[in-house]
Amino acid sequence: MKSAYRILAFLIAAEVVVQAAAIAFAFFGLSKWIDGGGILDKATMESDEITFDEVAGFIVHGINGMMVMPLLALILLIVSFFAKVPGGSKWAGLVLLIVVIQVGLALFGREVSLLGLLHGANALILFAVAFHAGSRASASRERDAEAQYA
Amino acid sequence: MQRHSTPEQSGGAPEQSGGAPEPPGEASEPPGGAKPLAASATRRRRPLAIALLATVAILAPLAWLWYSSLLPDRYSVMEMGHLDYGGGPAAASPDQAHGQHAEGNATSVADLVLDQQRPADVHVTLEARQETFQLASGRKVDGYTLNGQSPGPAIEAVQGQLVEVRLRNESVAEGTTLHWHGVDVPNAEDGVAGVTQDAVAVGDEYVYRFLADKPGTYWYHSHQKSHQQVPGGMLGPLVIAPKSQDEKVLDQLALVHIYDGVRTVNGFEGDISVSAEPGSRVRIRVINTDNGPMTVWTGSAYRLLAVDGWDLNKPTEVIDQSLVVTAGGRSDLEIEMPEDGSGVRVQLGATNALVLGGTGVDVPHPPQPDTSLDLLSYGSPAALGFDPTSADRSFEYSVGRRPGFVNGRPGLWWSINGDLFPDVPMFVVREGDIVRMQIENNSGDVHPMHLHGHHMVVLSRNGEESTGSPWWVDSLNVADGESYDLAFVADNPGIWMDHCHHLPHAAQGLVAHLMYEGVTAPYLIGEDTGNTPE
Repeated sequence: MKSAYRILAFLIAAEVVVQAAAIAFAFFGLSKWIDGGGILDKATMESDEITFDEVAGFIVHGINGMMVMPLLALILLIVSFFAKVPGGSKWAGLVLLIVVIQVGLALFGREVSLLGLLHGANALILFAVAFHAGSRASASRERDAEAQYA
Repeated sequence: MQRHSTPEQSGGAPEQSGGAPEPPGEASEPPGGAKPLAASATRRRRPLAIALLATVAILAPLAWLWYSSLLPDRYSVMEMGHLDYGGGPAAASPDQAHGQHAEGNATSVADLVLDQQRPADVHVTLEARQETFQLASGRKVDGYTLNGQSPGPAIEAVQGQLVEVRLRNESVAEGTTLHWHGVDVPNAEDGVAGVTQDAVAVGDEYVYRFLADKPGTYWYHSHQKSHQQVPGGMLGPLVIAPKSQDEKVLDQLALVHIYDGVRTVNGFEGDISVSAEPGSRVRIRVINTDNGPMTVWTGSAYRLLAVDGWDLNKPTEVIDQSLVVTAGGRSDLEIEMPEDGSGVRVQLGATNALVLGGTGVDVPHPPQPDTSLDLLSYGSPAALGFDPTSADRSFEYSVGRRPGFVNGRPGLWWSINGDLFPDVPMFVVREGDIVRMQIENNSGDVHPMHLHGHHMVVLSRNGEESTGSPWWVDSLNVADGESYDLAFVADNPGIWMDHCHHLPHAAQGLVAHLMYEGVTAPYLIGEDTGNTPE
């Protein structure tokens, strides 16, 4: 269970990297598309038929952020109950909380663009916390192994 | 997991440390531990029990939410959600209101039609096909056509005429219907699959009959799998002309639709030349058939004559302000051509324009104005024909967004008054009621809210009262953070959809209904029925 905890926590940290990469990819593609004469307005955006390849970055960011990461965070919390990582549930709960805040900022932050700054900063906090949780599980596992073979 | 398990975790694992041997089946102690065996076993089971309880505490509500969100394979729209009487009297019995056991005096939706004896004045036959077709612009599109074309043929009628449209489904496999967007038709003609009719299967037909009683700009589109069929082209314009028409005004349709990500106007891409004499007037009927608001602007002055088919009172000249046409909405603009023979460019979004004037007239692109026209204070007040302050019922339609399950699918879904589809309000009214409706949006996105069968008048927005012309809508752009107070008279019995016209949003559950007391729907929705209105 400790391994599961460790893998999930590092996976969430890795997902933050994927999210950052995907959204940058999408915006690079969007600006290239606009440079090439593409025009975007709300109705075109909502037609779900925008024709540049990098639009996949938006889709990945959306699915990952709204579905995959909350699910991973929830599983991490449940795993933490069994994993016996010292403080494991606390850190897993924190990861889930940060993910919820992150999704909330994404969905409701558009009215106040400054919240976008928080969305970006919060992503780094999520990375740090998830990474820390994973590291703690690694350390705990090593201690167990040492104890076992001491 | 076993590979990594520690003695602490795996009760009964062989003791590796040099401690005293323990009987098999007993939990082992960490090295150096010498605690009483029974106590340590209990101590270890307790965390496991707590872990299991915590897991159940998280998963059980989720499982219940998932299970309770599953939709039956067949259900009546009348069983959906919860009855909301808006503070008015409840129906005689909930069953009657929900139409489960149609009493002798209940009216079926199917019977809410015009006088069948009255002959029609306008006859139209529309053949629906699912096929690859060519737009007027030459672009090939894989989608849907009516009489081999998309947009479908323009249906034209004069005020007072009875229109009869025969819809024949030639090849739309999932079935189709036609909804007369903005025309307050009798309920049986509303074209909503599973609510006012069954979807028309391949080889079948359905005849729609309605009175063209309110001159204006409307459109028609499928209301079966509408989030696929409408973007795919199953739509067309409908214009009701007034009895006495000003012959000097040139009438120009501008049906805007995005096919495969490319915006078109009447099927054309880019600029469309419209010849107009100097000094003449042109009425442009803009129809937004897409899922998001569209901006219209022009370098010269214009007057906004009508919104959603209904005339505005004493519209004044608008200069340097753009006009937002909501998804599903229509706006009629009047342009007076300059006497000096120069042309006028009317932008329909950034990519498309009507260029009014002679052919070859070159008109520079007007910059998009910074502000848009606010209809709350446009034109002059006039009598509404009813008193919204003496409302019989007041409803709230508050759109939000929250995590949850819809039909077993987890996600961040649109909510209505805090609940997810199908646990949505069923607004119940009695014929003749004056109804107030507050539409509020705190969902993080814009929603074009569309009520079937009625026009609502805007009373206020965010508490700021309307001071302009009566602003009647059937499709209202409700931006995030906005709240509109509206009113209407319940004068068209039936069961009417009241939904978001961003059609994928509707498919995601942003749909409620307005139901008249004593009306029952014999149709069913659901996977097994072939009726999927959204």
